[in-house]
Amino acid sequence: MAVTADLDDSFAQPGNTQRAKIVVGRVLVYGALIIWAIVCLFPIYWTVTTSFKSAIDVTHGHLVPWLDFIPNWKGWGSLGLSPDTIFQISTPRHEFIGRFENSIFISIGASLLALLLGSLAAYGLSRFQYKFGPMKNDDILFFFISQLILPPVVLALPFLVLYKELALLDTRIGLIFVYTLTVLPIVVWIMRDQFNTIPVELDEAALVDGLSIWGVFFRIILPITLPGLVAAFILSLVLTWNEYFFASLLTASDAKTLPVMVASQTGSQGINWWSMAALSAAAIAPLVIVGIFLERYIVKGLSTGAVK
Amino acid sequence: MKIETYEQIMRAQLSRRRLLQGAAMTGAAAALGTAGGLGGFASPAHAQASGLSDAEKALRKQILQIPGVGKGSPTDADYRKVGELCLAPTKAAIKEGEFKGVELTFMGLNNQNTHDFLFRGFLHSWEEYTGAKINWIDLAQADYNARLQQAISTGTIDWDMLEMGAPFEGDVCGRGLTSEMPDWVKKMIDTEDYVNYLKPPVGTWDGKLYRVSIDGDCHNFNYRTDYFSDKDLAKAWKDAGHKGEWGLPKTWQEVQEVTKFLKGKTIGGQPAWGYLDPPKPWGGFGFYFLASRTTAYAKYPGEAAWLFDPDTMKPRVNNPAFVRAIQDVVDALPYEPPNQINADPNETGFAEFLGGTGSMVVWWGDVGAAAKTSDTSVVGDVCGFSILPGSDDVYNSKTGKWEKPSSGPNYAPNLAYLGWGIYVMKKVDSDDKKHKAAWSAAAHLGGKDLALWTSAYPSGFQCYRNSQHDIDEWVEAGYDRGYITSYLDSQFNSYNHPNAAIEPRIPGIFQYYSLAEDELAKVFAGQEKPQEGADKIAAAWEKLTDQLGREQQIKFYKAALGK
Amino acid sequence: MTASASMAAADNEPEFDNPDIVGAHARIAAGKALIWAASILFVAALLVQTLYAAGAIGFGFATWRPILYAYALWGIALGVGQVMARGEAGLRALFVLPAALFTLAVAIFPTLFGFYIASLDWNLAALGGPHFNDFDNFVQMFHDPYYWNALANMVFYVVMVLAEYAIAFGLALLLNAEIRARKFFRVAFLIPFMLSPVAVSWMIGKSLMEYRFGPLARLARDFGWQTPAFFAYPWTARFTIEALDAWMWIPFMVILLLAGLQAMSKEVIEAAKVDGASPWQAFWKVTFPLMLPVSITTLLIRIIFKLKLADIVITVTGGGPGGATDTVSSFIYRVYRDRSNVGYGTALAMFYLILIILFLMLLLRIAKRFTRNVV
Repeated sequence: MAVTADLDDSFAQPGNTQRAKIVVGRVLVYGALIIWAIVCLFPIYWTVTTSFKSAIDVTHGHLVPWLDFIPNWKGWGSLGLSPDTIFQISTPRHEFIGRFENSIFISIGASLLALLLGSLAAYGLSRFQYKFGPMKNDDILFFFISQLILPPVVLALPFLVLYKELALLDTRIGLIFVYTLTVLPIVVWIMRDQFNTIPVELDEAALVDGLSIWGVFFRIILPITLPGLVAAFILSLVLTWNEYFFASLLTASDAKTLPVMVASQTGSQGINWWSMAALSAAAIAPLVIVGIFLERYIVKGLSTGAVK
Repeated sequence: MKIETYEQIMRAQLSRRRLLQGAAMTGAAAALGTAGGLGGFASPAHAQASGLSDAEKALRKQILQIPGVGKGSPTDADYRKVGELCLAPTKAAIKEGEFKGVELTFMGLNNQNTHDFLFRGFLHSWEEYTGAKINWIDLAQADYNARLQQAISTGTIDWDMLEMGAPFEGDVCGRGLTSEMPDWVKKMIDTEDYVNYLKPPVGTWDGKLYRVSIDGDCHNFNYRTDYFSDKDLAKAWKDAGHKGEWGLPKTWQEVQEVTKFLKGKTIGGQPAWGYLDPPKPWGGFGFYFLASRTTAYAKYPGEAAWLFDPDTMKPRVNNPAFVRAIQDVVDALPYEPPNQINADPNETGFAEFLGGTGSMVVWWGDVGAAAKTSDTSVVGDVCGFSILPGSDDVYNSKTGKWEKPSSGPNYAPNLAYLGWGIYVMKKVDSDDKKHKAAWSAAAHLGGKDLALWTSAYPSGFQCYRNSQHDIDEWVEAGYDRGYITSYLDSQFNSYNHPNAAIEPRIPGIFQYYSLAEDELAKVFAGQEKPQEGADKIAAAWEKLTDQLGREQQIKFYKAALGK
Repeated sequence: MTASASMAAADNEPEFDNPDIVGAHARIAAGKALIWAASILFVAALLVQTLYAAGAIGFGFATWRPILYAYALWGIALGVGQVMARGEAGLRALFVLPAALFTLAVAIFPTLFGFYIASLDWNLAALGGPHFNDFDNFVQMFHDPYYWNALANMVFYVVMVLAEYAIAFGLALLLNAEIRARKFFRVAFLIPFMLSPVAVSWMIGKSLMEYRFGPLARLARDFGWQTPAFFAYPWTARFTIEALDAWMWIPFMVILLLAGLQAMSKEVIEAAKVDGASPWQAFWKVTFPLMLPVSITTLLIRIIFKLKLADIVITVTGGGPGGATDTVSSFIYRVYRDRSNVGYGTALAMFYLILIILFLMLLLRIAKRFTRNVV
């Protein structure tokens, strides 16, 4: 904002050197944006096009459809999702759809739960002074983030034992709990920063107006921090959507999710590039849609002048 | 250990290949001649299928036409059809609806959408007929070992049937977790038909049989026939002053020589490369490839043990035979493609060799099976097969001396992994109906006719029965005679080799392999000398043996060797 | 539970409600009674089930699931009791209580059990099962060259987070500026984070960078690197792995920083401009200091995820060549999963946990001082 806002202002009274400066600035800004967009999108392009390639097109590194190679439905066909296979019986498709449903249910469930618990805790930690035995606010905050540190692989046996005893193995709710635990610290930290940027005077004014502290939180503060909430939600959603380790450990036939199926496209027989690409593309599609839909809320919020 | 996908046996592809075949034929024929002589012993009796009745023959012929060789990948509908056609033995033994209400859980692999997905199709009509229902747990290959071990130790075994490789028998059957095979199943699947090395002790523990084989495994030697019939290379070989004629290496000494010679040469305008080593660790499986380079050095004829001293479990991995093999890899790596240090077996076999890079590679049967049928492969018409190369001299660990067999090079195929099997868990024993249902399903998957189909089509499974060695049957189904003869001979000659090196099925065998891989990676990266690395592996193995219990490991190792 | 019951708002917080004094005493007593009753009930259920599981008594539940329900009930009672007994302070405690109780419930057993496993000699393949072995695991750890090599690599990876942060900050500023097609760029910049690590490893690490056919390898050849074997030499391999990981995670940092920039009030920057500061000065004097808290959060979370880097390494290089790209997590992964040596693997992780906690506390302390000095 600082950089280009200045550029825009200068635009009003252009002198010759100023104009040159502006042009150079613009070129640099858009150059950087475009280069990074290519860095971001080329691998995605590669993945999506690969899902329409036959093996030979992959191993020859063909890039441009119709020019370099003739696209076909091979990758999607191997999942039973191409036009010619969509009405036939297909175990991979059946499997894919079941896992897709679970992935959606579990990642949204965990993200929402984490958002609820996390923003509550973050608001508390931002506004009030707690004493929890010897622990004060900073310690409580650190307690949350410390849950994130341990490499999950060593939690395999403890979680197996715990979930077996609680009869949570291979259940969606069990997976939701673990995932909530893993993204909760991120939500707490992000949201606390967000709440910290809102002046306390705002809360106080609302309290004077007769709202309870919970009313203040839900009706005044939370709407203002929508950009942060949306950012936290997207990050949680992506992290839980792609989580592999606990998914492979704690599920069997009922609660299984997509990532294990993606990993199953390679084994001791090389790799099915096309079906892995198709699966990966299908797996990011919902996230991209969510991203496009929610992007506007990251823009909105404080900067549009809701406060002050 | 074999996940075929073959995928895309597209008609267009095949007709294009047929056009090219004319050119490649001469080379292929010439090279196949060498392949036959390589093993230095005669093919065992095959064509055992002749003992089949006419009805059986007709059935086998019929299923081999589903969907037909060269007519694209089989679909789920094809799996179901094959499963249904092979249901006769089940119908004879089980009444319709006999298992109504039984639910079984099956844990296996989803390996590139085969294995478990295939079983679902095969068992579809079985489920309809018997009334039982099967739930599936599909694991990715990388998770398999950990899931199995962790489930056993936390008491979370939530499956009734298990797809498992024989090396894990020590971990599972050794703990008494599996159900003993009933006699009626033995008869139904005709265990007598198994190739020799899959007969007991494989599949047994303490004399009891647990395993329904569905797959056979060994390392064979895959090579490019066009390289070894190339006139320019032959001339360059002569000019460089090498002894002997330019041709397929028959010993590891020759493999080394050829690999060094080929660097910097070209073939068909492309850079030529020799043998391909896979130095990058691969979850323990990379060690098999060092073992395959070693068996000819270390497997002394007449002695079953080659990895440990059977009386003490003292590792032999730092004996002169292994160190020589490690040194071979270190010597060869500079003559292999520049990125070879980061190639794991998967990459070596499929991306490199089948993609046209390199002229020699060791792999399980998968590479050979995919060479002709997968469209990842550009070497289908110029690919030959044989058993693993031999060695001019062999190390006798009893005397501590290298010996030169008077009969010629020492050959010792590496029967790595031993293939997948179906096991039924002990916990079904308490319920008669469930017990019978589980074994009936296992027997259906391990059926003789189904075996023929799975080895002929993309399934992930290879030959494991003598009845699968009837070349005429394959040719009739549409396979090229030269190719299928060379390929099947390389498999069966390994399986039945008198000096084959057998997989030690001791508990935790993959831990040994994984430890070795880590240390070998250092040696291959030039951080350690081979002897130093080998000594460290041996030390780590000794420690592991102590941790697992030395007495027990000795007992199990001897059992695995059939003593 | 006594600890959380003592959770109290500090006195300096202004009181806004004005409770009826007479009713208050009864309410406080009822609240305390509720907490005590719920606690007793929960402890009793726990005790019964423990004894049942240990075989000491003949009645109990088939699984521990009812204990989970009892815990949830206790949590609710605790919350309600807090409000009844402590009024406004109780309402405030209610904000942080659910998250704290949830975290405790899910994490406490695995953590404690983890520390217990760390003290065992437990190889899953050993028929003898686990047995206690003092501190042998830690002694072994100090002599384990793989572990220390991996730790040294982690230093490199963590330092590189600063570079990622610089790039992410730049991108966040660009996205925050008045640009055309902002929506496109925002979504595009976010996309790498959406690809799963498995897909990144394969589709990029093993396909785009494939030595023979990968477009990136061909590009490298065009730039004059004739043998673009990205993973064959220690330093190129390290940097390439770092680049892959950065590619995935920079969007994560961009989004956090962007949310921070969005939340910043415009007036401050306007004011700086009125004072005649150049954009460069305005950034360093105003934007950057104001962004420090968000930056610290971003760096902290990013460092933690960096310290857990494993999937890409496992798939793409397996730690090679010769351990050059190995990370602590990928090494522990091999020990714990490939070798089923869970006692030792857990010990390695627990030591790592302690190292990280110390490191992060130091980092936070420095950051705090820094923030105070600047703002």
